[in-house]
This record gives sequence, structure tokens and C-alpha cells, in this order.
Amino acid sequence: MRTRAALRTTGIAVAVLAAFGSARAAQPEPLAGSELNTEASSVSLGVGLSSKDSRRFGEYNGITERGAYGLIDFNLVKRDDETGTWTQLFGRNVALDNPQLRFEQSRQGDWGYYIDFARIPRFEPYTVTTGVTGIGTPNLTVPAAPTVGGPFSIKTTRDRVDLGGEKFFLGNWDVQVNFRNEQKTGARVFGRGSTGTGPTGSFGLFEFTPEPIDSVTHQIDAKLNYTTSALQLSGGYYGSFYNNNQSNGLNIIGGNPGLASFTPIALPPDNQAHQLYLTGGYNFAQTTRGNFKLAYTKATQTDAFISPVNPPQAPGTGDNLMGRVDTTLAQAGVVSTPMPKLTLRADLRYENRDDKTPVRVFFTGTSPTSTSNGENEPRSIRTSTAKVEAAYALPDGYRLTGGIGWEQKWRNVSAVRIVSARDTTDEMSYRLELRRMMSETLTGAVMVVHSDRTGSPWLTTVLNDGVTPGSNLIAPISLADRTRDKVRFTANWNPTDPLTLTFFVEAAKDDYSQRDGSDLGPQKGSATNFSIDAGYVLTDRWQVTGWYTKYDTSAEQKTCVGASSSGVCPAAGASPIWSATIKNLSDNIGLGLRGKPVEKVQLGADLSYSSIRDQFQQSALVGNPIASLPDVTTKLTRLNVYGKYALEKNSGVRLDYIYDRYQTDDWTWSTWMYADGTTLSQNPNQKVNFFAASYYVKF
Amino acid sequence: MKQYMEMSVAAPRAALLALLVILCLPAGVLAQTPEEISSGKFCANCHTSAHLIWAGKHGTKADSRAPVSVGCMMCHGDPAEHVKSPANPMPRRFSKMTSAEKNEVCLTCHQGRTRIHWQGSKHERNDVSCSSCHQLHAASDPVRDKLTQTDVCFACHKEIRPLINRPSRHPIREGMVSCSDCHNAHGSVGPSMVIRDNVNDTCYTCHMEKRGPFIRTHQPVQEDCSICHNPHGTTNPNLLKIRQPFLCQSCHEPTSHRGNIASLTGSSTGANTLARGCLNCHTSIHGTNNPTDLNNERTFRR
Repeated sequence: MRTRAALRTTGIAVAVLAAFGSARAAQPEPLAGSELNTEASSVSLGVGLSSKDSRRFGEYNGITERGAYGLIDFNLVKRDDETGTWTQLFGRNVALDNPQLRFEQSRQGDWGYYIDFARIPRFEPYTVTTGVTGIGTPNLTVPAAPTVGGPFSIKTTRDRVDLGGEKFFLGNWDVQVNFRNEQKTGARVFGRGSTGTGPTGSFGLFEFTPEPIDSVTHQIDAKLNYTTSALQLSGGYYGSFYNNNQSNGLNIIGGNPGLASFTPIALPPDNQAHQLYLTGGYNFAQTTRGNFKLAYTKATQTDAFISPVNPPQAPGTGDNLMGRVDTTLAQAGVVSTPMPKLTLRADLRYENRDDKTPVRVFFTGTSPTSTSNGENEPRSIRTSTAKVEAAYALPDGYRLTGGIGWEQKWRNVSAVRIVSARDTTDEMSYRLELRRMMSETLTGAVMVVHSDRTGSPWLTTVLNDGVTPGSNLIAPISLADRTRDKVRFTANWNPTDPLTLTFFVEAAKDDYSQRDGSDLGPQKGSATNFSIDAGYVLTDRWQVTGWYTKYDTSAEQKTCVGASSSGVCPAAGASPIWSATIKNLSDNIGLGLRGKPVEKVQLGADLSYSSIRDQFQQSALVGNPIASLPDVTTKLTRLNVYGKYALEKNSGVRLDYIYDRYQTDDWTWSTWMYADGTTLSQNPNQKVNFFAASYYVKF
Repeated sequence: MKQYMEMSVAAPRAALLALLVILCLPAGVLAQTPEEISSGKFCANCHTSAHLIWAGKHGTKADSRAPVSVGCMMCHGDPAEHVKSPANPMPRRFSKMTSAEKNEVCLTCHQGRTRIHWQGSKHERNDVSCSSCHQLHAASDPVRDKLTQTDVCFACHKEIRPLINRPSRHPIREGMVSCSDCHNAHGSVGPSMVIRDNVNDTCYTCHMEKRGPFIRTHQPVQEDCSICHNPHGTTNPNLLKIRQPFLCQSCHEPTSHRGNIASLTGSSTGANTLARGCLNCHTSIHGTNNPTDLNNERTFRR
């Protein structure tokens, strides 16, 4: 079984592992006799060659262009057996765009500290061709007419530094402090737009205005822990801080006159949250344990509004939101085994997100037929849940479990709104499971879940005059009455000693109810997943694995074109009532091979393949026929082959080959042109051959 | 290091047990030195790779709480009968124990800190044992390495496995983000065992700019990011569950342009499927702090 477990590594993970020559590849060999091994240090140096440009392959590792890349990994571990002091220096992908570095030292059971650095890049998979200038800054200049620009590589980079330490004292106490500083820079795809006619070739008044990103977040978690065999407590402070280094507005110069007033665009404001918490568990008896958590969080946002405000907001509204959200959490749970065959569980949870941001009228003169009265809209949400469950052991290793869950969510509702609302939703769920726990050859479970979500009466949406009904046709998907049924079957079967099979089948179905007098809105949803995994040990030296997953989802909804402000659908001609069934259908395969043909050689290969089809089936229910959208088919293929040859006991060479292919007929950007001439494009058939050779040494 | 912080109580008791065990061992066994037994060297004569465990934190001799200070028996029980004859099983034969029995052994030392909520967690309820995920008798534990952690999780979570390679995804396969960045497999008070108390607070650990609060807030954004996003991967941009305008139409009334048929042609509000879809105009969809309404900014347009 140990050898099979080692083969669970998926193709993708092994491919990356292979490409970047991780320290894991250089684990120590199994020990012989009574030899003890207390060190697992390794260094790997190599070079990789990418055959082609591929923004998909390099989206998060930076290997976006054809060429050579350095491959450097190391893991230096030292344990001082006299003092129990560990020292570790770890590096992965050190010469790539996504390096990870860590240094840590600890005296086990006494103290420890670490410093960790990671860079997470994201290269926009689409190539941007634009005449917009100033990208990455809060001051953009946009051409007034379509301009043939040059290619621009949009990317973001997160540079993350973690510092932390811990100290144990007085036997049962310890303190932990973790601090994270993350700087994010770059730009992301963003835009502005309005109704109106754009230049020839464009789709209207839409302009490319990439959002500049230059922010720093800080997180600090300081906690005091108390641990005995009966009682465990952990209490502390968690603070998180977002600081946007950009000015709080994105200023746009130029562009189409029809969009002249769409500047500045407000950027994310600074915000912060402070949490105090206490969590713990207590063993009341050998058969009964309880746990709890109490937390109070105060989140604020007082960043200055964009400047200049265009036009000035209503008098008396100040220069910042004075935003404040207080969240209170209380949870308690108990698990008890009153008799050997019976286990009972209960859990209560209450979370009150109280948005205390003052309500002010930020703009006046709003039309009586508007769906806004000029006020800001704080969002308070109160969630209460309760769960009880009983599990009873039956003969022959079977166990029957039944559970009931309840969740109530209350949300505040603004007086004037644009979306249907109700005060509360209540959901009851019922779970029944039969599980076979102990067996030499077959374990598994069958589970059935049924849930019903209802709620308080739907509120009538009215316009700003407070009297005229607005549109009241759609029950939002997160609020609508819903019946959900789910069935899951899992099994692990060892029909023969070298063969392991795992089955996973899950089917879920949602049925939504609509608002009274309307049949629009979400109708149905479904998800099915069928998976089979197989592992076979051919010989002591060769093993194979394979898996297949078919995963399909579907969502059906109805709406209409051109409803009046009071929610009357024309339901005729070119303004039909129509439905859409959105499906995501996928077949996914993985194959793996591991071998050791001779003592000095290790071989491995992994293949993964996914074929994913998105369908958008639109049809008119009343009115003129309508067209559906073309399907989008995406195919992802990755093959990794590697070989290791041991030159000596503790060193060797490793060769890797990766074939990565991304195929799509996605039309999202294929015909699109912004009014300023910007286009986003991608190669619909991206193939990369990546070769790597590295030398490793272990000590 | 983390594994050992709760061992101070158990260790003296275990040391006493070890002493008693050694004193009770038969003469043949005592041909070995107590050091060889307690260090596992004697056991290694048969279980050749099992004591790779001593290469890790369990094998730090200077830490009196570590199993190496007691020996294999600390977890596996009194070896007296087993060493008389291999046919006699160890008292704690993990392959024959229930998950609860196995976990009880580990929790003797590892109950505190982030494992306080193990009991009652989804994993505990579903018979997951510590050894289902952790490899103890190995030089390294794959579940503790971001690059290989998903392989362990996908042994059960088949429904997630195909998603992480979707065109819109987190950098999971590069080892930059791992399951444990968002989920505490040892239990939490949040849904789906997220690391913080709720879904949004978990997302904010990396996407804090979405927290606000804003002057113009988008209700589902404030309530639960997963109403619109599937963080495990999708074929739609920005991890959206379904494309626009369909996603937006699952909540919004069909007044004005909001009920428009999805189309690849047309202009203005007709072009609701191409490029950024509805976000072509409603660009700041997570909320905006613009206090004015010159151009319907209240609808996240500026």
C-alpha cells in the first residue's frame, strides 16, 4: 500500500515537480538495517528550455517565452541532536519568476522563528494590444479614436514576506506570533463604458482602462495557547490591513467625449479589521468533548473619497464613508459517545455581521422613478446554524448516521432597491448515511441529503417615490426557495492484492421556486460527478495508476427582454421571454507510471487530459425565436516524463520533458475591440515542449 | 515543530510506560540495549523503513516529549508479545484500528492549537484518520508540501481534482497556493472548514481590497464570495461560476437592458457576453466608494 500511495501524485503536480526539480525529488533512500537518518538536505541545479511562447503555460511561473530558464532548488536541513535545534533553509524555483525561500530555526518544544518569502506572479493570459499609455499608474491617457497600439504585457506580482515565532513556557503555555507583509503591484484588465455608439469596429462606448495595482496588506496574528490533556485554549488578536498606495482615483485623460465624465474612477479604499478571539476545547469525560469559539471583529473603512469628486456629493456627507462593520461570532459544539456504538454530535453557531456604517444621502435630486434614493446601503447579515447528528455502529463494520441541520440568514434591506429581497431565509437539511468502515477489501459509503430552503415573504420593491411598485419578477438565486437533493456513493475496493479501485459518484439536483405571479428567475440546477481511480502494482519495480472523472453541471433560468420599470414583460416579438440552460461538461483523464528498471535508474511518466465543453442553450418561450451562443470547447493536455540516474549514492542527474497544450475556441475576446482600438487576443492552440536537465546532490 | 507543542503532559507518562515496558521485556529482547529498543533500532531489524520517522520531528531526542524518547511503543503499545513472536500483533495495530482509535493516539499529544475543532469536523465525522493524510514513517510528509498536498486531498475530493487545471484558476499546480491556504483540514468554525470564520474573511486574506465597506455595496459580495465564484477553478474569467450576463440575470430584474439575450453581436448593452460582459460598464462590481451619481455610479460604474 505504501508504494501505491506514492503514486497518487497527479500528472500536473509531478510535471511541475519535475520541471522545477524540487527537493522532494531528492528524498533519502529507505534506511537499511538499524541505520538512522536524521538529515534530508539536497541541492538541485539545472537548466530548462522552453520551445515556444505560451502565456498559459507561464501564467503563474513566468515561463511565458521561448528560451532557457535556470532551475535551482535546495533544502538544507540540520538537526542538532544535543539541543534539538532545527535549522532549515529552503528554496524552490529560485531562478524563476515564482521563487519561494524560507529560513527557519527552532529548538523543538522550546522556541522557534522563521522568515519566508514568496513571489506569486500572474501574467495575463491574453496579449493586450493597446494605444493606452500610463498603464500601471493612476493616470491613463486613452486615444480618442481607435489607435493601432503595441503589445503590452499585463501582469501582477505579489511579493510576500512572512515572519513568525513561537515560544513555549510554563509547561502548558505557548505564544505564537505571525506577521505577513504582501505588496501587490502591476495592473489588471479593467474598463469603462456607457451606452452610446462607438467607432466602427467597436461594440460601443467601451474603453480599456487597466486598473493600476500598488497596494500593501499586513496581517498579524498573535495568540496565546494553553494546552493540557483535558483543556485546550487559544486566544489572541488578528489584524488585517489593506493600504492602497495609489491615489484613490484612476484619472483618465482623453478618450471618447461620450465617456469624458467617467473620470476619476474610484479605486479600492484602504480598510482594516481587528479581531479578538478565544477558542477552546474541553474533554468533559473520556467519551464527551466540547469546543467553542468566541470572536469579535471591528472592521473600518475611512479612506478619503476620490478627489476631485465629480460632481461634489451632497453637503454634509463628509470626506469619507466612516464605514464600520462589527462582527460577533459565537460557536459551541459537543461530541459524545454515551455508549460504545452510539456517537452524538451537536453544534450551534451564531454570526452577526452588523454594518454600522452611517446612512447618509450622498446625492439628491434623484428621480421619483429611480431605483435609488441617494443613500448608501450598509449590509448587515445575521447567520444562525444548528446541527445535530447521531451515528450508530451496526454489525459487520457498518455504521448508520442521521443528521439534521438548520440555517437561518437575516439580511437588512434598503428601502429603495433594484433587486428582489426578503428579510430571512431558512434552510432545513436532512442527511442519512450508511458507511462500511472496516473491511479488508471493501469500504465505502452511501449518503443522501435533502434540504429545503424557504424564507420570509418577498418584499415589494418600490421606486423612489415610495409608492410605485418596481419590478418584482426574479427571486435571486441566493434567496429563492430551493429544494436540493444530493446522493453520493464512495467505495474503495481491493479485489486483488496489487489492484486498488476507488469509485466516487455524486449527483445533486436543485429546484427553485419563483416569486408569486412570475415564473422568471432560476429554475433548476444539477451536478453529476463520476470518478474511478485505479492503481496496479505490476512488479516490485513498476506501478501504474489511472483515473477518469466525468463532471457535468447545468443551470437553467428564465428572464425576459425589456421589462418595464414596474416589471411587466412585453413577452412578444423581439422582446421575448426566454430561457437559458448553461452547461459545463467535462471528461478528465489521468495516467501515471513509475518504475525502477535497474538500481540506479528511476523513471516516471504522467499524462493528464481534460476536454471541457461549455454550452449556452438559449430559447424563446414567448416571442420571436432567438439564437444560442456557440459552444466553447477547451482541451488541456499535459505529459510529463522524467528519468533519474544515480551517479553515486547521494547524487545524480535528472532529465525531464513536459508537453503542455492548451486548445480553445473561446470567443470572449476574439472579435472584441474597445473604442480606443485595444484588443485582447490569445493563441487558441498553445503548445509547449519543455526540456530540463539537472544535477542533484543529497547530504 | 508544530506537532509537538502539546506533548508536555503526555511525555512523562509515556516515559514511565516505556520504563515499565523495558523492565517487563523478555530476556531475548533484553539482549538488545534499552537504547536500541527505545530508539527503534531493534524494531528496524524487521520494519526497515518505518523508522524513517526518526528523521523528522518525532525523532528529536532532545525533546523529551518526542516519541523517540520513548520508542515505537509510545504509539504502538507494549511490544513484549510481539518481540516474542512476530505472529503476535502489537497492541495498537493501526491497520486494524478504527479511525477514532487511531486518532485518539495522535490526539494524546496533538489536540491543541489548530486542532481544537477536530472533533465534530467534517473530516472526523467521515472517518478520516490522521494517517489518512499524514505519512509519519517517511522522510517527508507530502501533505505538508504545497506542491504535493493536493494529491493527498484529491484521494477523496474527486470533485475538485479536475477543476484546479481549468483556464481560470488559482496557482495551485505551481505550488503557490494549496488547499490548506483556505481550508483547515483539522476543523474550523467556518463552512467547509475554511481557515477563518467564514468564506469572505478567508478570501480577504489575499483579496482584502474587496472588503470595503463601500458606499455602493453589492449584496452578494458582502455576503459570500462563493455565490458568484468557484475558487477551485472554472472555464469562465475570474473564477466565475457561469458567464455573464447569465450570472447577473440569476438575481437581477429584467428591467431596462438586464434581460437582454446573450449575444456575440450588437453594441452597447447588446454586447453583454463579450469581453468583460456586464462589467464592461459596471466595472467596479465588488463595490465602489464613489460618493456621486453623475453617470449611475451607484451601479458600480465609476
